[in-house]
Amino acid sequence: MYRFVTTLVLALALGFAFAGPQDNSLTVGTAQEPVVLGDLLNVIGSMAIASEVELWMYVGLYRINLDANLEAELVTEVATVENGRQVITELPDGTQRVDLNLTLRDDIFWSDGHPITTDDVAIVYEFAKTPGMSLAGPDYWARFSLEVIDERNFVATLEPAQSSDLVGSPIPVLPAHVMRPVWEDVQARVADLDPETDAGQIGEIYRGFFTDFGSPSAINEGRTVYSGAFKPVRWTPGSALRMERNPYYHLHPENQDAYVQSVEYRFITDTNALLFAIVSGAVDVTSSVSITFDQALSPQITARAADRYDIWFVPGSVWEHLDINQFDNVQQSADLMLSDINTRRAIIHAIDRQSMSDALFDGLQPVSHSNVSPFDPIYNPDVPQYDYDPELAVSILEELGWSRGSDGVMQRTTADGRTVRFELEFVTTAGNAVRERQQQFIAEDLRQVGIDARINNAPASVVFSPDFINRAYDGAWTGMFMFAWVSSQASSLNAAGYLCRNAPTPANDFAGQNAGGACSPRYDELRDQAVAELDMAAALPLYQEMQAIFAEELLAIPLIFRSTPYVVTQGVTNFVTSTFNQGFGYPPAAPELVGWAERGAEMVFDQADFGDQFE
Amino acid sequence: MFNYIVRRLGQMLPLLFMASVAIFTLVSLQPGDPLDELRMANPMMTPEQFESLRRAHGLDQPIHVRYFKWLGRAVNGDLGRSRTYGVPAAEFIFQQRLPRTLVLTITSLTIALLIAIPVGIFTAVRQYSAGDYTITFFSFVGLSTPNFFLGIILLYLFVIFIPETFGVRALPPGGIPDLMWSDVQLGRVTAGEYVRQWATHLILPVFTLATGSMAAWTRFMRASMLEVLNQDYVRTARSKGVSERKVLYKHALRNGLIPIITLVGLSMPALFNGALLTETVFSYPGMGRAIFDSLVGKDYNVAMAALVFIAILVVFFNLMADILYAVVDPRIRYD
Repeated sequence: MYRFVTTLVLALALGFAFAGPQDNSLTVGTAQEPVVLGDLLNVIGSMAIASEVELWMYVGLYRINLDANLEAELVTEVATVENGRQVITELPDGTQRVDLNLTLRDDIFWSDGHPITTDDVAIVYEFAKTPGMSLAGPDYWARFSLEVIDERNFVATLEPAQSSDLVGSPIPVLPAHVMRPVWEDVQARVADLDPETDAGQIGEIYRGFFTDFGSPSAINEGRTVYSGAFKPVRWTPGSALRMERNPYYHLHPENQDAYVQSVEYRFITDTNALLFAIVSGAVDVTSSVSITFDQALSPQITARAADRYDIWFVPGSVWEHLDINQFDNVQQSADLMLSDINTRRAIIHAIDRQSMSDALFDGLQPVSHSNVSPFDPIYNPDVPQYDYDPELAVSILEELGWSRGSDGVMQRTTADGRTVRFELEFVTTAGNAVRERQQQFIAEDLRQVGIDARINNAPASVVFSPDFINRAYDGAWTGMFMFAWVSSQASSLNAAGYLCRNAPTPANDFAGQNAGGACSPRYDELRDQAVAELDMAAALPLYQEMQAIFAEELLAIPLIFRSTPYVVTQGVTNFVTSTFNQGFGYPPAAPELVGWAERGAEMVFDQADFGDQFE
Repeated sequence: MFNYIVRRLGQMLPLLFMASVAIFTLVSLQPGDPLDELRMANPMMTPEQFESLRRAHGLDQPIHVRYFKWLGRAVNGDLGRSRTYGVPAAEFIFQQRLPRTLVLTITSLTIALLIAIPVGIFTAVRQYSAGDYTITFFSFVGLSTPNFFLGIILLYLFVIFIPETFGVRALPPGGIPDLMWSDVQLGRVTAGEYVRQWATHLILPVFTLATGSMAAWTRFMRASMLEVLNQDYVRTARSKGVSERKVLYKHALRNGLIPIITLVGLSMPALFNGALLTETVFSYPGMGRAIFDSLVGKDYNVAMAALVFIAILVVFFNLMADILYAVVDPRIRYD
């Protein structure tokens, strides 16, 4: 019996033997599974994990490096004013046009050996300009045009151009020699449909087109080709995606055998199960979408770290904040004088944000003072800061006419003779445990200064529906709303979130992201100037003044920037990321250089330069 | 009987129609739509561009128009594409998720029955013995332990504690194997290896899922057998000198099983629903997660395909149960 059990256990164990350095592979654990890969225009949708996995198998014209700078990838050089490849033209209406003259390298190939040419750029342009194509960024493509000069040269034009247009590749690249024949069939099918009455069906046909090249079955049948360091060879839905080196990739290191030869993403969608997988050694590293921050700090992980793996916290561009209802037509908001900057100052002075970060996140999630990440090149470190000072908060409230009632809650008599208590509705996403803990912390701090925070949470699908978040004007929520904005360099340059004109009101049919209706005319003025300024040196002071105004006038109450936890088995090299690596901070910086030290992989990037290690 | 079946089948159609209307309406009345997230992520999108997106996703029309468009396509076998997964909803539900769920639920059901029936008989026959008390104790432990809790404990035991204590990794931490049947057909792995890998991934979720049913059915079997064993015809059989074995298995068991058959029959649709909590704990991509995720993610085509399919199963198994009652019990006749 004993022999039988031993044999059985060993036989089972064989299937889970540690791989990693032994076969020069890397297993990445993730809590999400992509739907489709290669949907580079986000026609089907945008998922963080898809963007991360695509970094291994697709490359762009440019790469955004760890320092958030552009590097040439498929083109010979980055277009700049200095090298004459970036031409800015003033237009009669006061706007500018930018022409990017780009040249594809002559040593770039798809994974089937077919050369990458301007035809592969032109087909993406054709997709993006097709009426009825549901693009995630239609505003960008409306301003974009393309002129192909020859097989290697083309001009990408943006008119009117915006500062954010110069961040990242102007257009993705997809294999025309594989996709065009199918695209022509799709166009023929759509030609019989009416764009007005059949819009839904046309949209579905286009989504189906991209799915047919990026679904698990498409990948397993090898229906398309890839430009990146790795190519997918196998996708078992619900289980794993395996990639192997693309022999035609042009930037492989000379001694590429020293670096990993295959990469497998393991999809373990429950973060507790993923935590088990990490602890058991079934995964070598975690992706940007994996365990939660508090799981990474849990004893199950940290107690076993010592000589097995490193735990990193990389500052992210996810900004937690409190939007405040500043619409004076809403009685409750007006009674609390939330549109008065002094009320918002009292609120921020009452919240001990540093203690909250220390208590809930071991201080690894930095307190924010504006809506721009400290790692963003436009960041202004010298903005006004409101420290925790509950006495000052109380005195500000008293100056505004509030005084403590018998129950300790502030109250005042309004001009029309009503007595109002400082009862502040406090909304956030129900079920998000980390956020709900922050909410409790903040509510308790506010209680200390006499503000009675009334928690009113609902699931994300409810609070983020336009009928709720965009209806502060109608009083759908009347106080504070805690949520997060995810930004990239491009979106922080766009800075459209807190414009007066983006406050959802009946005038704009309740559109816009400025949910609380914050408004600073000077901020809007600076933003419009900054966005139109293509010279970053000239735009920088404008963006920095905007941040100063944001912080000074508290268009929203800044809380913290979230950090992303990564667990990396000791010996893995160059699986490194930063806040804005590749745009949104997805790892790794250079897929072709990820390897195992014991296999001879040379360390080029050090995560310590871009994140904090758990000690 | 024939007329009854035809009449019931005729009633099924309006019933299913009403069920599909109710499901579609409830799913569509959820706050927001699938494009909200997209709009939140892109502050630069104009209302016109957003409206054009809604048109491209067919979300600009009233619910009843959308419903009849869906119904028109569904009766022709086109259930639409999953908005979340990109693939046709029918392929996602019936080819990807349903087979995995059936493997999990049927295996656990079979194991639960194979254990619960003999154990239930044993505890009835040996009522108030030490064995009966022990099994009763464990049955109540099984009944009162939530699946997700048991799952987490098993994961800790087999994925962390045993490997760390004995240095052997015996079971995977959840999910499904990175294998498809085509691998066997193409000769990449042997059929034995395929089965072994699936078995190692299924052991913990199957055991977790089977525990609750096993405990409950053991108790039902015990109660049912005790009732039957006290019937006059059993006493008569014994007094006629029929062997105890024959009394037990020929006279008592056949009648004692009837309530269990009813219970199993009623739980048949649940086999297809999946087991949300167990699937979640073990990251097992089955129907439970598919239905939950499609509702949360407002993936209407998948939600409709799955929920209407389950509605059909419920109606069908109800009809089957009614017919079987008549077959089993001669006193029941349908006119």
